[in-house]
Amino acid sequence: MTADTRARDGDELIRLEGLEVHFPIRGGLRDLVRRRPSGFVRAVDGIDLTIRRGEVLGLVGESGSGKTTTGRVIVKLTRPTGGRLLLDGEDVTGVWGGDALRRYRRRVQLIFQDPYETLNPKQTIHDFVAEPLEVQRIGNAAEREQRVLDAIDTAGLRPAADFAFRYPHELSGGQRQRVVIAGALVLDPAIVVADEPVSMLDVSIRTEILNLMLDLRRQRDLTYLFITHDLSVAWVIADRIAVMYLGKVMELGTAGEVIGDPRHPYTRALVSVMPTPEPPQPGLRARRVILAGETPDAAHIPTGCRFHPRCPLAEQAGIMARCRAEEPPLIDLGNGRASACWLAESGKPLPAVERRMGAVAPVGDAR
Amino acid sequence: MSAPLSVPALTPDAVRGARARLRARNARDMAGRFARRRDGVVAAVILLVFAVLALVPALFVGPLETVTTATGTPFEPPSAAHLFGTDQAGRDMLNLTVHGTRISMVIGLLATIMTILLGATIGITSGYIGGRPDQLLMRVTDFFLVLPTFVLAVVLAPIVLDLVGIDAEIFGIKATLMVIVIVIGLTSWAATARIIRSQTLSVKERMYVDRARVIGGGSGHIMRRHILPNVTNLIVANTVLTFAGAVFTETTLSFIGLGDPFAPSWGQLLNSAQTSGAPGLGAWWCIAPPAACVVIVILAFTLVGNALDDVLNPKAGVRR
Amino acid sequence: MTLMPDPGRLSDVTETARLGRAESAHDFDPAADADSAVANAAASASVVLAGRAAIRGRRQWPLPKQADPDAPLLVVEGLTTHFTLGDSTVHAVDGVSFTLEDGEALGIAGESGCGKTTTALSLLRLLPANAEVVGGSVKLFGIDLCTKSEKALRRYRWREISIIFQGAMNALNPVKRVGDQVAEPIELRVGLSKADAARRAGELLELVGIPRSRGRAYPHELSGGMRQRAMIAMALACDPAIIIGDEPTTALDVMVQAQILELLEDLRAKLGLSLILITHDLSVLAETCDRVMVMYAGRVAEEGPVGRIYGTPRHPYTQMLLAAFPDVHSGRRDLGTIPGSPPDLRTPPPGCRFHPRCPAAMEVCRTDVPPEVRFDDRVRVACHLYPPGSDGVPVPLPRPAPVSAEAAVGPEAAP
Repeated sequence: MTADTRARDGDELIRLEGLEVHFPIRGGLRDLVRRRPSGFVRAVDGIDLTIRRGEVLGLVGESGSGKTTTGRVIVKLTRPTGGRLLLDGEDVTGVWGGDALRRYRRRVQLIFQDPYETLNPKQTIHDFVAEPLEVQRIGNAAEREQRVLDAIDTAGLRPAADFAFRYPHELSGGQRQRVVIAGALVLDPAIVVADEPVSMLDVSIRTEILNLMLDLRRQRDLTYLFITHDLSVAWVIADRIAVMYLGKVMELGTAGEVIGDPRHPYTRALVSVMPTPEPPQPGLRARRVILAGETPDAAHIPTGCRFHPRCPLAEQAGIMARCRAEEPPLIDLGNGRASACWLAESGKPLPAVERRMGAVAPVGDAR
Repeated sequence: MSAPLSVPALTPDAVRGARARLRARNARDMAGRFARRRDGVVAAVILLVFAVLALVPALFVGPLETVTTATGTPFEPPSAAHLFGTDQAGRDMLNLTVHGTRISMVIGLLATIMTILLGATIGITSGYIGGRPDQLLMRVTDFFLVLPTFVLAVVLAPIVLDLVGIDAEIFGIKATLMVIVIVIGLTSWAATARIIRSQTLSVKERMYVDRARVIGGGSGHIMRRHILPNVTNLIVANTVLTFAGAVFTETTLSFIGLGDPFAPSWGQLLNSAQTSGAPGLGAWWCIAPPAACVVIVILAFTLVGNALDDVLNPKAGVRR
Repeated sequence: MTLMPDPGRLSDVTETARLGRAESAHDFDPAADADSAVANAAASASVVLAGRAAIRGRRQWPLPKQADPDAPLLVVEGLTTHFTLGDSTVHAVDGVSFTLEDGEALGIAGESGCGKTTTALSLLRLLPANAEVVGGSVKLFGIDLCTKSEKALRRYRWREISIIFQGAMNALNPVKRVGDQVAEPIELRVGLSKADAARRAGELLELVGIPRSRGRAYPHELSGGMRQRAMIAMALACDPAIIIGDEPTTALDVMVQAQILELLEDLRAKLGLSLILITHDLSVLAETCDRVMVMYAGRVAEEGPVGRIYGTPRHPYTQMLLAAFPDVHSGRRDLGTIPGSPPDLRTPPPGCRFHPRCPAAMEVCRTDVPPEVRFDDRVRVACHLYPPGSDGVPVPLPRPAPVSAEAAVGPEAAP
């Protein structure tokens, strides 16, 4: 029984159980002969996660962590190859067509990261926001127009009627992202998956969009899965944070816990290199744990703990053998905290890193 | 950038009105941008002249002269009475050439329609659906891509004519000419399909297509609302160039004798001049006018096509 | 605290710089510490001179013939660059000045459109066809590059100043091996033989943390971080005095970003390089730079030692910009915004370009361009809140109204 399955029932909106997304590697003569793929890219490799109603769950990870793929599974753009997806306790893993899919899509919507690409350059703002209503055949013409107007207005583009008939290229990045948000809101979804919604925006615009998202949560009882690589943004907006690495969740807890008292060496390294707009302090640099190398290919995931080759603690803590042999599950540490690390099993804080790994040592990336 | 379009309130009527105004504004903008390309404008005017000639040739040169209604003596050089001289039967070359405009252009138009309809439909569908159907359709496309035009024409013409009879008419077009339309269509659609499929593949990967799926859009909806509008520009530019190619192919097919000897398309006129020995007799006026028309029309189409391409698919302005 | 380092010991210089940065993080009251401010200034000056001698003494190539050995490494004064768009002029860079000493790292920060990239490109005149440097001077070792012809300027490009462009890791030639691409400038500009250039390229790759054997790889076989390292190796090819990095870590993972920044730090210490880092991410500059220059709408808002800029920001824009970045360690979770948007530089607002968005704007801000005023803690500010002769105590901004969805941006003219 993994940590996250203990979420209070009835509070649960989305649940992932053992979710797997393995992409076969095809191509090459050998495959033609063997008629089987030569390997799998295990983008998502067994995730148990719960998203509670009304919360903002931050899903944090670097590239190759599987966070975007997880988001895509939840909005049903990508098919999982294993595990279950539940919405409101109902198993929707197999829902891929017909009315059931349409009903699902009304409840689960998406905000992408690139407002320049998410909008069809040939479509007016009005058509973009109205499209979900048309496709879902909601309401009559007059009702739809009213909802479109409301959505554009709620997203902060005022006067809404002025914006309706513009094209994306006439708007700034922040305005475009508001349009995307309006388009996600118009169906009145229960949960919005936001994949890096502010990373392409200027810093001062980011805050506006983040505040908008929080306001909308209050007004409309929205839930968010906030996917980002930027731990500091997650810290600002998320209630709970799940840290992913190479397709699995490494750590879970409230934002304050995960960042203030990380219980996984990967999380701790990420937190230590987080840049902050503060005057430099002696000693701060020494506390940075810069991992060597880069995230390995998801087609060649290390055996045992998938983080152990880069882990600054594995060798020093003398339990290298166990890390190499056995993959730690997401260990429940009580009170909703969890960590996939043998060292965290005891429930005590992690030992300090004795030897700071440099970044200039020759690195061998597994490419 | 013109002032933003605003509506007092979003009622269905207001939306319809705004959409119409927006469409009008876009059309005006595009016309304006096109007008700035002088080569395109000149070429378009030339095409317009030819279009008028094709529509009402009798208005300019009277009815088509036949062997029995020839107004001159054979192989008369150009003079005041016959600006382009006469052919081997004494028919006024100017008369024949102007009437030939209609045949050449109509065949070109029909062939283009067939090419674009086939090519675009298969290109978009194949590109969007992907997988096995795409592979299959592409193999079929490849087959048609390598089909030699003339060989196909030579083989197909007698078969079709045998089936329907030489004097039969399909949609008011003589069977012999229809054969040419079909042959051109069959051999041209594949190239168009490939180009459009390629663009479809790239549009398919865009985030807005993903978004359209997430809101519940099905394949048909996505192809209509998202793929097609972003492929249209390519189709338009391609259409114009296809037209030019069709005129050229028709000219060639008629020239080698696969056309209708009673329908004086430009290619047919060249064929007549050839077979009646005009070159040997030095009767250059039997060859020059139709040949010049072919060249001018194709050049005009190409220039318009390029100008349209620039207007519809603007590339980034400043070099970095 | 003053240190007189041994001029021959390079590492002492950079260590002094680091300690100096750490020191400036302490509280500094301009009024009370006037005397120690003077002493500090004198000490910094001597540190700078000693450092300059040490770094220049270790150069691979001799100084340019026209160089002035007493001049600072780079002095930019009143740099002005205009773009021509149709029949309008974009005033992208308007009177930007700064100085860069040997071994120093300067960060240029600002949001998109503030002119930081254009400033960097103007130094080497690597501007697009419709842009032109219309005023000011760029003095490298005292040599004004603005007066040089295109041909003469080539002697300085890459040999003295090299640049890592934004997104450059995606601009590697996909059909050439990485090692060959690093060797290319060495062969062309330095004139080494193919074999020697290849050997040197191998050394450079090792220096940036790429095993020599990986030099035979093609760009697509390398990860983003490795490619960025390769770009740094290329920039180092001719042993420049200055490397300009335009958003060198944007688009990289956070851990890789930390690796690259640490690499740049190491290179600075080992080679005595000077760095100009351009980024919109103020947080990144805090750890890597000695001094930071904040730009807005083509002008310098504030510039000074990193401890000062982050610890006691003066200019309202600097204060608001800093407030917009999340700061985990301070526990601050509500971020600030800057209402409105940057001005269209075809028709910049008169007077102070920030005044339409500034919560502390006064009448004079609308009409007069604020002069640059230098304070004793080596900070320059261009703001009417700090007129010449003022005491330089930072003016806190009026508390902004709580930001909600109401403060929407209005319609904007498309460029």
